[in-house]
Amino acid sequence: MAETNAAPAPAAAAAEEEDCSSRKMVVVVGVDDSDHSYSALEWAVRHVAAAADAELVVVHGKPSASSVVTFGSPGAGDVVRFVEADLRKRAEDVVDKARRLCIANSVHGLIEVIEDEPRYVLCNAVEKHGADLLVVGSHGYGAIKRAFLGSVSDYCTHHALCSVMIVKQNKPKK
Amino acid sequence: MWLIEAVIARHDAGLTTDSERVAMEEERAAAAVASGVPPAGAGGAEASRVTAGATTMKVVAAVDAGEESLRALSWALDHVVRQNPGASVVVVHAQHRAEHFVYPVAAHGLAYAPPMAVDSMKKTQEENARRVVSRALEVCAQRQVTAKAAVVEGDPKEAICQAVEDMHADLLVLGSRGLGMIKRALLGSVSDYLAHHASCPVLIVKPPKAHAKGTGSST
Repeated sequence: MAETNAAPAPAAAAAEEEDCSSRKMVVVVGVDDSDHSYSALEWAVRHVAAAADAELVVVHGKPSASSVVTFGSPGAGDVVRFVEADLRKRAEDVVDKARRLCIANSVHGLIEVIEDEPRYVLCNAVEKHGADLLVVGSHGYGAIKRAFLGSVSDYCTHHALCSVMIVKQNKPKK
Repeated sequence: MWLIEAVIARHDAGLTTDSERVAMEEERAAAAVASGVPPAGAGGAEASRVTAGATTMKVVAAVDAGEESLRALSWALDHVVRQNPGASVVVVHAQHRAEHFVYPVAAHGLAYAPPMAVDSMKKTQEENARRVVSRALEVCAQRQVTAKAAVVEGDPKEAICQAVEDMHADLLVLGSRGLGMIKRALLGSVSDYLAHHASCPVLIVKPPKAHAKGTGSST
């Protein structure tokens, strides 16, 4: 899996590891190109901006072309190239949006793009950065869809080592 | 559902979450708007407002008789609620109904418990509920957070889910394992259900592990 560090914002201060309680709180947010993960990012940015002594790490798990295209059909080689280009463009868009949101709220965040399945990417990021909180969006799939499509937020809730915040689009309040 | 109101401490602060939310929706506009969040002083004692939820964050925390939920509550208060001084907290405890208490009699029979037994069951339940809730309120009081309490009846998962909707909560705080602690399970059944079905964002607090470095052993 290729790891690309995209635009670590200046003065992002790699986690200062003091073991006393004055250690900064590290918040990891998982993003993809969906709306609900953007709401999760908004929540995290809002929270981190308010906290002023917290670090934000935005993590995007970029799907690889091979997970999307199955080989074995004629012309598969060309398709892979297009798919790869498209995926890369999407990842860039996601990073761009995230960066703009951070800047707009004066939050310094580290943005990482890692090519692997999102669930592992997020849990590994939690370990790597010693996160205190993982923020994810929730697509709101029902139980059956979740069983078939898999759920990143489900996996993270069970396996992440730190507290998990699942941000949902609020249902319209009556 | 009956409410035990215990307003512990008033917390005055001006920082409202609403101004931040609105500012973020206009992010393409001046960044200065979003970044400058001066204590506007508009807040004040908004904790008592039950409707709206637009200006203050309404936090609902589910507690039970176990330690974990209290720890979850304190973690959430320290790390999340602290950033939103105007937030109001409601501590919710769910109990099964005590009325239809039946017990098996002989090989094939079931008997409804005599009224006296039901009464004493009810009293014990109320006593438990009161104890659970007062411990939770104490935790809130220690951090100068205004808190109310509610006890709901019925199946815990659904009762809490319903309570969250009724109260128009902005955040639900849960521990990751409850009374039925199974060592291997990393997420209790109530927390699991609520993570998927609650109508508001859910925060699942896990017990801290000597911060995660190389403590590979599963609990």
